[in-house]
Amino acid sequence: MEDVVKTGINQYIVSTWLSGDGRGFDDDTDMQQSGILDSFSTLSLIGFLESTFKVQLEPADINAETFKSVNTVTKLVLGKLGG
Amino acid sequence: MTSTLEPGGEDRPPLRAERPPRAERIDRLVTDWASRQPGHIAVQGTDEALTYAELDALANRFARMFLDNGLQRGDRVGVHLPRSGRAVAAMLGASRAGGVYVPLDPGSPPARMRLIAEDCGLRQVVIAPALLSSWLAAGVHAPVEHFFLSAAGTAPASPPAVDPGFRVHPWSEVKEASAAPVPPVGDSPDELAYLLYTSGSTGVPKGVMISHRNALAFVHWAAEQIDLHARDRVASVAPFHFDLSVFDLWSTLSRGATVVVVDETTVVSGRRMLDRIHAQEISVWYSVPSALILMLDDGGLEQRGAPGLRVVFFAGEVFPMKHLRRALAALPQARFFNLFGPTETNVCLAFELEGPPPPDANTIPIGTASCGDVVSIVDEQGRPVPEGEVGELFVDGPTVMLGYWEGGRRTPARHPYPTGDLVSRRPDGEILYHGRRDHMVKVHGHRIELGEVESALTGHPSISEALAFAIDQQLIAVAVPTDAEISVLDIKRHCASRLPRYMIPSEVRLVARLPRTSSGKADRVRVRTALVENDGVVLSPVVRSADQPGPSGQPGPSRKEP
Repeated sequence: MEDVVKTGINQYIVSTWLSGDGRGFDDDTDMQQSGILDSFSTLSLIGFLESTFKVQLEPADINAETFKSVNTVTKLVLGKLGG
Repeated sequence: MTSTLEPGGEDRPPLRAERPPRAERIDRLVTDWASRQPGHIAVQGTDEALTYAELDALANRFARMFLDNGLQRGDRVGVHLPRSGRAVAAMLGASRAGGVYVPLDPGSPPARMRLIAEDCGLRQVVIAPALLSSWLAAGVHAPVEHFFLSAAGTAPASPPAVDPGFRVHPWSEVKEASAAPVPPVGDSPDELAYLLYTSGSTGVPKGVMISHRNALAFVHWAAEQIDLHARDRVASVAPFHFDLSVFDLWSTLSRGATVVVVDETTVVSGRRMLDRIHAQEISVWYSVPSALILMLDDGGLEQRGAPGLRVVFFAGEVFPMKHLRRALAALPQARFFNLFGPTETNVCLAFELEGPPPPDANTIPIGTASCGDVVSIVDEQGRPVPEGEVGELFVDGPTVMLGYWEGGRRTPARHPYPTGDLVSRRPDGEILYHGRRDHMVKVHGHRIELGEVESALTGHPSISEALAFAIDQQLIAVAVPTDAEISVLDIKRHCASRLPRYMIPSEVRLVARLPRTSSGKADRVRVRTALVENDGVVLSPVVRSADQPGPSGQPGPSRKEP
């Protein structure tokens, strides 16, 4: 399950925000610091997570720590799915 | 009428010849020099050179032809031929006959020529035989009544059965016309001298009306700045319909110097341009930065140098700092000037570089007011802004155009003229450029100046050029990398270190090259259209060594890291 979520998020980021160019991007890349996520792209990512993985994210779930990298977002989604 | 002297092979004029009185009209610029130094080369073309005496005589012949065929004071004369001594003589001749010359782009399609001809009512056109064929093949001739061929060539052979409504005068007729001066046109400097057609915002070309006073305020100022003298050999790189050419031609001829044509097939190659600089001993150069970058990237300028070049003027677009530093290092002996101003005001600001800019500088000023102009920086209510704040540049003075010729009507220029450029003034008085007011966009509520995004992108060591666009609330960048291995993530990281989040392009397209306008600038309109239409030819992707061969025109496959 973890792999499916991780791969899905990674592919979404690469195709939507890196013009399909995944070079240099991995699951630990800091998406805040590297300019991938801003308020607008974060909202799009939330929309993607909610519709793809059928999870409901609360305002408390969304912060710089949980939306730092593909790994942290994956952890957040898995937590929601498990709970 | 051909001279084929090598550079410097003729009698060299004295370095400090006494200069003729300052001309107040373009038609007066060459006459005095023609009697002082008749054998000195005025225009060194690609396959023909004209001396001052020959240029003067040919201008008179053209003037005679125009008048004999009905030219009235103020009538417009089109000049549609490759850059050459004959084209210069045609413009000068139109001026001497009391007409207004209209340089037409040899690279533009006949359909655009029709719009211009109709807009300003061109009844007489000097044209190259091949270009006339393309006009006639496209069925474009009205309202032109007289075509004057600029060379022996294929005039439509047999007279058509019905009156076509126009006449074609062969080159032999021009060549054999009287070279005696035509009756003087007087000395009013405020008459219209020429029209330069630029793209209007609606895509229909509009003519910028420049008077003799407008043109010569800049022409004499520029010659003065660099102490232009008769031994100078000045490159003509810009097309004649582009205002950079006003310096190349008229400043040069006002000082008895030599115009050296760097033709259309040469300006596409950095190596060929530099070859021409060396072979023709060019001493003064004026172009858009792109031409200089081409000589750096593809001409070996850094290795070969150009020791004879004493002045480099650049204008028309921002010179990315890293390339400017390379150019300064390659040409340590040359004076460098950043000239600034829209076609409507010619050059209204100028900045001379005193050595390389400080290492931390990421821009150079556009300078202080030039040519007798007065500039101000105002906010949206028209009030002057405090020092350091960004406002719109307003210009008044002798270089501000008479107005627009558009839709057959003349509209006088506003005074002071609002340039649409966003600038600020530094404490030392130098003005900094921030971008175009119409490149100020709003994306998700944030005001973004696209020029700032572009300058951040070209600040990356591996990006040579970049354009930014706002399309459907998305900020999109198109960049030309110098290193095919650079990734979109690298670029985003770089932007994140220099720009606020909302100014980081959400999409970055890495392309092999940008399309160019006829004046050599990156063609923003074509790139924007290509983005909207997803045109993979205009936006041909960079080929990376590790790319799998993919369908042509498609971006390379993405390779996700495991």
